[in-house]
Formats: sequence, structure tokens, C-alpha cells
Amino acid sequence: MARHAGAAGRKPKNDIMRAMETQHSPHILRLENVTKTYQQGKVEVRAVDDLSLAVDRGDFAALCGPSGSGKTTVLNLIGGLDVPSSGKVWLEGQDLATLSRAKLSAIRRDRIGFVFQAYNLIPVMTAYENAEFVLKLQGAAERHCRDRVMAILKEVGLEGLEHRRPDEMSGGQQQRVAIARAIVTEPAIVLADEPTANVDSVTADALLDLMQALNRHNGVTFLFSTHDQRVMDRAHRLIRLHDGKIDKDEVRN
Amino acid sequence: MKLTKMAWRNLWRRKRRTLITGFSIGFGVLLAVTFTGTGDYSYSKMINTGAVMGFGHITVEPLGYNQTPALDKRLEDSAKIRQSALAIPGVTDAIARITGQAMFASATKTVGGMFMAVDPSQESTEHNLFLRSLVEGELFPTAGGRGVVVGHKLAEKLRLRIGKKLVYTATDANGEIVSDIARVTGIFKTGVSEVDGSMALLPIDSVRATLSYGRDEATMIAVIIDDQRYTERMQRRIDAAVGDSQREVLSWKQTQADLAGIIAIDRSGNYISQLLVGLLIAAGILNTVLMSVMERTREFGVMMAVGMSPGTLFRLVIIESIWLAIVGLLIGIVITMPWYAYLYHVGLDFSGAIGDDYSAGGVLIDPIFKIQLFPESVVAIIVGVFALTLVSCLYPAWRATRVPPVESLKTI
Repeated sequence: MARHAGAAGRKPKNDIMRAMETQHSPHILRLENVTKTYQQGKVEVRAVDDLSLAVDRGDFAALCGPSGSGKTTVLNLIGGLDVPSSGKVWLEGQDLATLSRAKLSAIRRDRIGFVFQAYNLIPVMTAYENAEFVLKLQGAAERHCRDRVMAILKEVGLEGLEHRRPDEMSGGQQQRVAIARAIVTEPAIVLADEPTANVDSVTADALLDLMQALNRHNGVTFLFSTHDQRVMDRAHRLIRLHDGKIDKDEVRN
Repeated sequence: MKLTKMAWRNLWRRKRRTLITGFSIGFGVLLAVTFTGTGDYSYSKMINTGAVMGFGHITVEPLGYNQTPALDKRLEDSAKIRQSALAIPGVTDAIARITGQAMFASATKTVGGMFMAVDPSQESTEHNLFLRSLVEGELFPTAGGRGVVVGHKLAEKLRLRIGKKLVYTATDANGEIVSDIARVTGIFKTGVSEVDGSMALLPIDSVRATLSYGRDEATMIAVIIDDQRYTERMQRRIDAAVGDSQREVLSWKQTQADLAGIIAIDRSGNYISQLLVGLLIAAGILNTVLMSVMERTREFGVMMAVGMSPGTLFRLVIIESIWLAIVGLLIGIVITMPWYAYLYHVGLDFSGAIGDDYSAGGVLIDPIFKIQLFPESVVAIIVGVFALTLVSCLYPAWRATRVPPVESLKTI
């Protein structure tokens, strides 16, 4: 799908060239000997330990492992929300460590979609406005926003609920809005941190159906952090982490 | 959704807190209006009253007369100066007068005092406080007669009544001691003891003759302007029209330095009071906005995670503060209007507390406490409220942008 004029219009020339260079690469993101350590009191905790990983375009992959294995930290590093202590994170050929705060914000806005465990919708906004939020940040035209948001809300099954605020929706509905917000800008990758953790099993299945359909039909790349068996069962690739290292990297048909 | 709309909704997430802060800003507006309006009204009233007690808002005088007043210093062509001043837009009156010191004697007693020689054809109750304050008799009818109008305390000292004779003695234009006689035609009571006990009005042509002045000579032209706020501007215009090396054009601040000093000191105190009130309100706003920001750390983290730039987040908090200022201002207008209307139309009567002498710096003051806001003061208060609110919100807005998204998302 073509990106809309608002975002494309602002894309610097070197970004476009870099995108052209990397579009033939199968990897959408790459982590190269990434280590992340935290200081907890006097103890140094190694959340991610010399981890190298590549994710391909169109992947439907899941990072799994016990609590404290480093799943969320890896997602945060990929999303540019955190910086590695050593090593490099490349997203679409760009080394995230070389980018300024503003540039990182722009990357997150234009190329990454986030789905959080606790939905994290903006409470003063309706479903429509939450889904529209990132498009507005991109400076997209009003008409484009309207068409795009209405189409996405229909796609995630929220037609008719556009004017509801988060506190007027169920957990499953809120997570659908979060998914709509994550994919509305057609990002390169959606990072989903425990997206089914706060919903019942029926809703979890419905959400996974939705994300799977978006992956199959729209080619959206998904990378989950999860210890939900349902997510693991559906993932095409399962990356098991243990103590910040890849324990097992399994690709399935 | 536009940032302005989002900020407006954010403002009402905690209605009670917003309303409490809005009321504190509104109370600040009420205090600012009261302080500023009192100053605007009372200073204006004092300056205008001072102007009609002799010197006008602006005075054209012989060079050096203000520093060392003496009757040998005089303007030679007062009629021409007066006409030139009257031709300037904004000048409502220009009056030739002779002022000086004299000894006043009656059949029983002699006292020192001041005289102001006036031409009844140029004087009016509007621009001459003494005529406005006549309690007995009237102003002498011509500039060349032998009438005199005296203050009621001077009349008491000299045991004068209407029709009684008064002898005044002064130093003439040549430095000679001269005297003349006058008959009391009126008695005034201004309420300023110093003035009521020493001042007499005399007919200007008679005084000219007594003091060996020419027919067109006077010691001053008192100029009344339509708005005292523009005194400096009018002073420059009048100076350009009539000023020369032998005369000077002075404002009330120069001719009534005591009054100017009292106003300056009072205004400084007023500013300090307003500053203190402003600081207290700013602390309240800072507290409210900072709390509101700290409560939304996670939300801000999400916004930044999905791509909101720190600059946009900063703008969001600033726009919220602008909305808060608008709400506070509107509340302020609502609670201030009845208070302002009452003080503007009715006022508070402090005459019982002030006593008999209603004066400050030798100028009559109004014992009724009233207020009036000039348009520039209204603008200053509005700008002040916005500036105060914005300054108070800079730190919370900056704080909002400094929390790393990953830290704020840890609270999930």
C-alpha cells in the first residue's frame, strides 16, 4: 500500500534512498551483539546479553520466555524506547543509536506500531480519535485521516463504536482500538507487548485472528513479546529467550 | 484531534481541581483589578485635583520660577502663550495667573500666606477648585476690582467676613514692598487645612497694577489637558509650541513634586502587593499543573512511544495552561464584575476614618474609595494572567518531555 502524501512529503531524501537500498533486504530489523544492563542498587542486571537477531518482512514472530528473560527489553530496544549498553539495533537499515530524540520520535511515528498489554489508549479521546492520533502527528490531511481511520476501524471490527471513549469499551474493544492505532500508518513493523494478557480467551482468539489477517492480507510484520500459549501457537517463528539470550529460534510452517 | 481540543479535554479530567485553580486565578484577577483600579482612580483624581488647585497639569513659567519663586520673574506675553496653548488638541483650558507670597492684614491681625491673582473671565468652577469650594459669597466680578476670596481658616484667623477689608503686602516686580486693599467677596473651604488657612484669590489686573506688572504679564499659564495620562506627551507638544530660552514648560510632577513622590511610593507598594499575590497564585498554578503532569507520566510515555515529539508534548502542556488561564480569567471577570460595579458607582466611604483634612502632598483626596480601570490596565491584567500562568507551566511542561518513554511505560 502506498504511504499517504502527508508522511511521504516529509521524508528526507537520504531516508528514501536508504529505504530503497534496504527494501530488497529480507530483514526489516537486525540486532547485532546487543547487551542491555541495568543497575539495581549495587547489582548490575544483564537484561539482554550479547543478543543477535534478524526479523524478516512479513514475519509473525514471537519472543517468549519466562518473566525476566528480556522479552520486553528487546521490544523496547527495537522500538527505540531504550538504548542498548552495547551493540547495534538496525531498523530498515538505520542504526537507531545514531538518531536524535526527535528523529527517533519520527521513526516511531512513521515506521513502528505499538500494542501494549494495558491498551494504553488516551482516555480523553474517542476510539476514532485514538486511532487517528498518530496520523495527526504525521500531519496527514483531514480527509485522508477520515477515510483511513474509518477503514481501519471497520477492519478491526469497531464500526459503529467510533465515538466511544476507552472507559465506555470492553478490554477487547480497547485492544482493537490499540491495534487500529498501531497499523493505521502502515508501519514497517508492529511491536506487541503481551497483547492478549488482559483479555479473556475468546477475545484473545479474536484479536489474534485479526492480527493474523493483517499479517496475511496486508503484509504487516508483527513481533510479539508473550508467554501466552495461544500467541506462541500461531507464531510462524518462535524465539525463546532465557536470561537475555536466545535459547531457541524456531521457524514453523 | 487538534492539540487545542485535546488540551481542553485534558483540562476537565479533574473538574474540581481545574475549578479550584480557576477560582484562584479569578481571585487574583479580582485583587489585581482592585489594586490597579484603586491606583488608576485615586492617582488620576489626585492629579486632576492638584491641577485645579493652581498649576494645571502643565505649567508655562518664567525660567527658574519653579526652583526659586519670586515675583520679579514673569511671563511678558501671557495672552499669546495662552492662545498658542489653547490651539493644541487635547488642551481643554489655559489660564493666566500670578501667584506669590504675601502678608494679609485685617483690623485685628496679620498673617503670612499665598495669593493667586486670577481673571474671572478665564476662570471656571471646573478648572478652579477654590471657586468650586465657595461656601460663602462669590468670586469678584472683574479682573480690575478690589475683591478678594479667602480660605475659611484664613478668614477665621483674620476675623474676616463678607464685605470686610483686607490689606495685602507683597514684593513687586522691582523688589519694592507694596500694599493694596481689598474687600472680601467670598470664602472657600477645600478641606485642605494648609490651603484654607493661607490662600487668597485676588483680581489679576489690580495685582498687576500693584506689583508694577505690565498689562499682559503673569507668573504662569496653567494648562489643563483632557487626560492626565498623556501629560508627558502634551508637555512636549506645548514646549514645542511656546517654549523658549526665557520660559519653561513643566508637568505636574515637577511643579507638585510632593504629590508625584507620594504617588510614586504608593504605586511601588501597589506593585509589590500585586507581585506577592501573583507569586502565591503562580505557586498554586505550578502545583496544579505539575500534579496533573506527574499523574499522566504513563500517558505521556505512550504518546512519545507512538511518535509524539517532545516539542509537541511541551506545546500540549502549554496549551493546557493557556486554557487554564482563559478559564481563570473568565471566572475572574464573573466574580469581579459586581465588585467593580459597586466600587465604581458607589464606593466605600472612609471620610469618618480620615478626619477633617482630606489631603496628601498638599492635594485634596477623595475620602470615598472608588475604582476605575484604564484600558491599558485591563490589557496589563490580561497579559499578566497569561504570563503568570505560562511561566508557572514552563517547568511542568519541560518535566513532561524529560521522562523517557521506557521509564513511564514501566508503570504498565
